Amino acid sequence: MNSENLSPLGQRLLDRRNFLHTAGLSTSALALASMLQADGLLAEDANTVSGEAPIRPDVDPSRPYQSRAGHFEMPAKQVLVIYCPGAVSHVDTFDYKPALTKLHGQKPPGLPAVTFEGPSGNIAKPFWEFKPRGETGKMVSDLLPNLAEHVDDFCFFHALSTDTSAHPQGENFMNTGFTMEGFPSFGAWVTYALGTENEELPAFVAINDPRGLARSGKNNFGNGFLPAAFQGTDFSAAAPPNNLRRPNALTSKADRLSVDLLKRLNARHLERFPGDADLAGRIASYELAGRMQTTVPDVMDISGETASTLKAYGVEGGSELKGSYARNCILARRLLEKGVRVVQLFNGSDPAGGNGITNWDSHSNIADTHAMQAEIMDQPTAALFADLKQRGMLEHTLVVWATEFGRMPFLQGNGTGRDHNPGAFTCFLAGAGVKKGFSYGESDEFGFKAAIDKTTVYDFNATLLHLMGLDHERLTFYHNGLERRLTNVHGHVVEDVLA
Amino acid sequence: MTHRILSASLLIIACSSGQLSAQQVDFERDISPILEERCWGCHGADDQESGLRLDQRPRLLRGGDSGLATVVPGEPEKSYLIEVVNHVDEEMAMPPDEDKLPASQIDLLTRWIKQGANWPGQMDAVLDESSDHWAFQPVVRPEVPSEPTAQAAGLSPVDAFLLKRLASDGLTYSPAADPRSLIRRAAIVLTGIAPTPEETSAFVAASRLDSAAAYSELVDRLLASPHFGERWAQHWLDVIRWAETNGSEANLYRKNAWIYRDYVVRAFNEDLPYDQFVREQIAGDSLGAGEATGFLVAGPHVPAATVGREPTAIRQARADRLDEIMQTVGASMMGVTIGCARCHNHKFDPITITDYYAMTGVFQDVEFGGRSPEFSADHPRKQRGSELWKTIATQRKLLREFGGWEEDWGAFRELHFKPITTKAIRVRFKMKNIGLDELEVFGPVERGKNLAHARHGTKVSGFPELGLDGRNPIDRVNDGEFGTMTWRASAGKNSEEQPYVQFNFSQPESIERLRLSNNREYFYDTDYLDKEPNLPRYEFDMDVLDENGEWKPWVGTWFVNKKLNEQHPERKAALAQVQKAIDTLAEEGPRPSFVGRFVPPVPTYVLHRGSPEDPRDEVAAAGPAVFDGQLGLAKDAPGANRRAEFANWLSSAENPLTARVMVNRIWHHVFGSGIVPTTSDFGKAGAAATHPELLDWLAAEFVQPTHNSSTSKPWSTKSMIRLLVMSQAFRQGSSPNDAGIGKDAGSALLWRFPPKRVEAEVIRDSILQASGNLDRTIGGRSYRIHNEKKTYAQWEVVKNYGPNTWRRMLYQERMRRVDDQMFTAFDFPDCGQVRAKRPVSTTPLQALNLMNSDFVQAQSQLIADRAKAETNGETKETIVRCFELLLTRSPAPDELADCIELAKATDVSLVCRTLMNTNEFAFLP
Repeated sequence: MNSENLSPLGQRLLDRRNFLHTAGLSTSALALASMLQADGLLAEDANTVSGEAPIRPDVDPSRPYQSRAGHFEMPAKQVLVIYCPGAVSHVDTFDYKPALTKLHGQKPPGLPAVTFEGPSGNIAKPFWEFKPRGETGKMVSDLLPNLAEHVDDFCFFHALSTDTSAHPQGENFMNTGFTMEGFPSFGAWVTYALGTENEELPAFVAINDPRGLARSGKNNFGNGFLPAAFQGTDFSAAAPPNNLRRPNALTSKADRLSVDLLKRLNARHLERFPGDADLAGRIASYELAGRMQTTVPDVMDISGETASTLKAYGVEGGSELKGSYARNCILARRLLEKGVRVVQLFNGSDPAGGNGITNWDSHSNIADTHAMQAEIMDQPTAALFADLKQRGMLEHTLVVWATEFGRMPFLQGNGTGRDHNPGAFTCFLAGAGVKKGFSYGESDEFGFKAAIDKTTVYDFNATLLHLMGLDHERLTFYHNGLERRLTNVHGHVVEDVLA
Repeated sequence: MTHRILSASLLIIACSSGQLSAQQVDFERDISPILEERCWGCHGADDQESGLRLDQRPRLLRGGDSGLATVVPGEPEKSYLIEVVNHVDEEMAMPPDEDKLPASQIDLLTRWIKQGANWPGQMDAVLDESSDHWAFQPVVRPEVPSEPTAQAAGLSPVDAFLLKRLASDGLTYSPAADPRSLIRRAAIVLTGIAPTPEETSAFVAASRLDSAAAYSELVDRLLASPHFGERWAQHWLDVIRWAETNGSEANLYRKNAWIYRDYVVRAFNEDLPYDQFVREQIAGDSLGAGEATGFLVAGPHVPAATVGREPTAIRQARADRLDEIMQTVGASMMGVTIGCARCHNHKFDPITITDYYAMTGVFQDVEFGGRSPEFSADHPRKQRGSELWKTIATQRKLLREFGGWEEDWGAFRELHFKPITTKAIRVRFKMKNIGLDELEVFGPVERGKNLAHARHGTKVSGFPELGLDGRNPIDRVNDGEFGTMTWRASAGKNSEEQPYVQFNFSQPESIERLRLSNNREYFYDTDYLDKEPNLPRYEFDMDVLDENGEWKPWVGTWFVNKKLNEQHPERKAALAQVQKAIDTLAEEGPRPSFVGRFVPPVPTYVLHRGSPEDPRDEVAAAGPAVFDGQLGLAKDAPGANRRAEFANWLSSAENPLTARVMVNRIWHHVFGSGIVPTTSDFGKAGAAATHPELLDWLAAEFVQPTHNSSTSKPWSTKSMIRLLVMSQAFRQGSSPNDAGIGKDAGSALLWRFPPKRVEAEVIRDSILQASGNLDRTIGGRSYRIHNEKKTYAQWEVVKNYGPNTWRRMLYQERMRRVDDQMFTAFDFPDCGQVRAKRPVSTTPLQALNLMNSDFVQAQSQLIADRAKAETNGETKETIVRCFELLLTRSPAPDELADCIELAKATDVSLVCRTLMNTNEFAFLP
C-alpha cells in the first residue's frame, strides 16, 4: 500500500520498526511477536512431517497484509485461478481421444459397470469435433473455440487424478488440498505467505459466479484455521463486499466526523498502552477500511473500459449470464492490475443457484448443458487471457484454469450424459514461470485413467505454490497438533512444466 | 481386500516352494546377508525410514509406522515383510526402485519366518514401549511453594506457584486492577457480556468499602448467572466445531441439534461434575442424558446422497465420519491428536494405528443422524412421552378388536393388521409412482425387530428390480438405510404389471405391522428446506404365502382405511385419538433430534494405510494402549457398552490427561493462553507447559479439592474457575511495564493480566445489552438469519439484525462455512475443523462491518434513544449515558466536548456508532 496516504498517526503505527525503535513503545509488539512464536513453537526444534523445518511467514499481526518475500524468487507475483465447478469433460475439450470415435457405441472394454451415479452405458465419441490449433497443433474441440486460439500459451496437465468423485469433496480437494471441510484455501495460504502488493484492496478476492456460490461455498476461498485476515473477500462486478458502503441514512460528512472522532478516542486510549501493536493494528485497519470505500468502487467501475474491450470480453450480445461473467472477467483483470495477490474467478455455481444449467455438471444432455456453460465461459475467459497477455501482465501473473475432476469416456445409463471421472482430468496453467504450448502427462486411450506421469491434486497444488515461490513442504501453520500444509504430507512439484 | 487375497495366493506359491526344500534356515548364513544387502541401508542402525528398523529382532517384530508387524514368527502370511517383497502393492514394493528380490531369497525369508524367525542371541529381547513424556505420566500433586510474598498477602496456591516462577526472573505482579476494569474483565470472562453501568457503579462503590468482599461477591454472582453457562458452552462448542448444519454439498440443517447446545449450557450452569459431563457426552444414551451424545456428531459429515454409488466411496465416507468422531473426542477430552494415527503410527506420540482403529471400535455404533433422545425418568419430556405412549397403547388395544388400521408417524406410515405367520409376503402397489427408502415388517414378539431387514436373511425381489432408469434398485427397501437412497418405481400408462415388493423370510415369521417411508432421513434429521419431506399416501394390498405355496390376500390399505371404517363406524374415536396422541408425542415427547443415531456395530479392522479397501487385523474396542486403555471388551460387545466402558476409562481419576486437559482449557479461557499453549495437544509435538507444577497441582485439585474443600466439589468446573479468577494474578492490572516486557513480552508468566481482543459474541451481546434489547431467554431453538432453501442450494442470509435476532449470539444458528455477513470476519469459526482457540485477526472488513452494517445502524439508534429517554434529553447528559452504556464509564472532558460536537453536527446515534467501534469497547481491559 501507499503509506503516504495514511495519516501521520496511522503511518507511525504501521511502521513496525518505528515501534521497536522508539524507546518505551516496544511493549506489545514484542509481546505479540513472542505470542506468535509460542503458537509457532515448533518452528525451531520440531520438524514437519517431511523432515524439513517449516518456513513460517513473518506476519506482523498489526499489518497482516504487508507484502512478504516468498521462499525463493519466482516470476509469478500474483495468481488468477479460474475455477469451473461441476467437472468439465476433458474428453470433450482438451484431451483428444480418437479411440472413443473408433469404439463409439460399444460397451467399454474393462471399464466399470457402476460409477458415481449408477450403471454405466456405452462409449461415446466427443460431442464436439477436435481440430489442431495454433502452431503447436494442439487438438482442442470446437466447444471452446476462443480458448483454443491460445493453446500455444497454455501448459496442460492431462494426467490429473483425484481422490473423490463427489463435487463438494472434489472442490475442497482442488481448492484446499483436503476433501474434508475446514482447511485453508490455496488463496488463503498464498495470502498468508505473501501478503499483498496493495493493502488498499483485499489481498485475496473471490469473484463468485453470477448464479451464486459453488458447491463447497465459502470453503473454496475460506481461511480454515488460518486467521480470518487471510480469507477471500467475495465480491463481483455486480455486488460490492458486504457493508462496504456507508449507510444510506448517513451523509458523507457525518460519516467522516464519526471516523475522525473514532481516531481521537482511540489515540487517547492508546496512551494507556503505549506501543501496543494490537491496538495500533486495529486503528490502522479502520484507515484501510476507509480507503477501501473508494478503491473498491473504483476498481469495480468498468465504465471507463473501451468499447473494444467490452466487445472482446463479450459483455453484450450473448446470454445475460455470459454478460455478467464477462464483467467479472474484466473485474479480475482490474484487480490484478491493482496488485491484488490472489483472484479466484468462478464459472459455475451449485445446482440450485440458477435456472436450468448452473455449472459444468452434465449427467444428462451433455451436448446441451456443456454447450450452454461453454457459451458463458469461453469468450470472456479467452479475452481475459488475451488482455493480460497484451498488457504484459503474464510476466508476473500465474493463470490457473481448474475443475474438480473429469467425465467418463462412456455415457450413463440414460445415454445422454457423462458421469464423474476422478481417474483422469485436464487443467491448464499459463503465464509467469510456466512452459508455453506444453502438455504434461497423458491419460489412457479412453481418457479413463491417468496413464503417463500421473499427477495428483497434491502434485498440482505443490506446483502452484512452487510457481509462487513457495515450498509446499515448508509453508506451514500449526493447528491442533500438526504443522499443517496445503499438501498434507504429499505432493511433488512437477518440474517438467516450469519454464 | 483384493490385496489381501492376492497376497494370500502369492504366499501359497511361496510356501509350497518352501516345502520342497524344507531344510532348516540359518539366520547368519541365509537371512542376515539379505537383510544387510537389501534392507539395512534404509532400515538399520543409521536410518530408520518409516520408523522401521530391521537389525534388531524385537523391532522387526514390532514393525514401523505402518503399524503392521514386519514379521510374525511362524506366520509368513501375516508378515508384512513377505507382502512387500512380493510386490503385492506396487506402491509399497520393497526394496524400492531396485530389482525385486530373487524368488530364492523370498523363499528363504518365508521359510525363516515359518520356522519361527530364529535370530540367535535375540530371542528374548523385548522393546521398552513405555513413554516418558510428562503428560502421559500419572498426576502427582506437587507441594505448594512456600512463597513468602504469597503467604504474607494470604494469597492462594495458584499465586504461590506463579509468584515463585516470576521471582526467578526478578518479576512480580502488577498493581491491582482498578475496580471498573476488574468488573468488566470478570463479567466478560465469566459471562461473555460487559457489565451494566448500574452493576459497575455498585461494584465500584462496594470496592471502596471492602474490595475483597465486593470482589468475592461479584464472582459468586457471575458464577451463578445463567449467562455463565452460555459463555462457557461457547468455548466448548468451538473446540468440537459443533454446528447446526452438516457441511458438505447440501449443508443441510440438523433438526433440533440445538438440544445438545442447551445441554452444554445447562451442564455448565448446574456445574455438572466434569467426569460426568465426559461420560454423558460419550454414553448419555445409557445414562438418561440422550441429548448429550450430540457431542459425538458435532463435526461435519457427508450424507449418503452426495457420496455417490460406488461402494469404495461409501466405505471411505463411513471411515471419514468415524474419523470426525475421533477428532472430536481426541481434541476436546483427551488432548491428543489421535487422528494422526489413522494411516500409520503417530509420528510423535506412542499411539499406534492399532490404537486408532481400536478406538474407532468404541464408536462403531454411532452414525450421523437423529433419534429421539433417551431421557431420565424424571425428565418432563420423558414423562409426557410415557403418558402419550399409554394412550396409544390403550387405543391400539381397542382398534385391534376391529382388524387393522393405519397410523401416520410423519416419518413413516404404519399399517397394523391381524397377526399371521408366513414365510413370505408380497406388497402390491396400486399407485403408478412409488418411492420407498425402507419397507419394514414387524411382528408381535420382538416388537422392534425389522423382520424384512437383509441382515436377518430376508430376500427381497419384486418389480421393477432395478427401479426407475435402472438406477434405484429394490434392495434399498430392506438395507436399513433411510434417506434419499430409495427404490423408485414408475408404472407406464399402459403397463400391465404393477410395482410390487416381495420378501422371503429365512423362516416362517409371525407378522402384524408394515412400515413404509419415502425419506425418513430428511424427516428425522433436517429442517428448513423449502419443501417439507414428502410422505406419500401408499395404496397397496398385501398377500401372504400359505402352507400350500399359494398367495393369499391378507390385508390392504383400502380394506383397513375404507372398508373397516364403513363396517365399524364406532372405532372412529379411537382412530382419532391414536393419531392425536402420535402427533402430540412428536411435539411434546422426546423429539427426533440430530444427536446421533445408533446402528448395529460391524467388526472393526485396522485399515492398512488408512484405506477401507485394505482391512487387516480385527480389533476390539479400546482406548490407546499407552494409557492402559484396554477395556476388556469382546470384539462383538454391544455398542452402548463399548462407549460406556470407554467413558468410564476416560473419566477416571487415574487417566493422566483428562483433568490436565480440562484445567488447562479453563486456564486458557480465563487468562487468554493455556499453561500448555496447545490446548488440544498434550503430546510431544505440543508446546511445553509454562508452569508444569501448577498445572499438575490444578489437575489434582480438580479431581480432589483441598483448597476451600468445604465448598469445592470434585470435578467442579465452577470451583476451578472460581479458584482462578479469585487469584491475584487475575485481579492485577494490565498496563505494560518495562521490566515485564523485557523478560516476558508475551506475559506468559503473568506479571500483568494480558489484555486481549474480545470475541464476536461479546461485541454483539454487549451492544444489545447497551441498547436495552438483549433478550435474555436461556436456550431453545436458534434464531434464524437464513432462508429456507432447496436441498442443493447455499444458505442465504435474509436478515441478520431484526428483533428476532436480539438474543445472545450463542443462539444464532451455527452454520458451517456460511458467512453471516457480520461476524465471520471476526474469526467466528467456520466449524469445519476443531478450534481449540480462535485466532485473532485484524482486518478492514471487520471495520466495515462494525461501521456500516444494518445491525450497527439499528443498534446505534436504539442506544441513542435509550440514552435520551433515560436522561433529560440534553445532549450532554445523553452522551454521558451513552458512554456509561457502552464503556461503563463517564467521558473525560475532552471526549465529552468532541462527542457533543459530533452529536450537534449529526446525531447522538453517530456517537454510539463511534463508541462501539473503539478499541476500548473491543478489548478486554
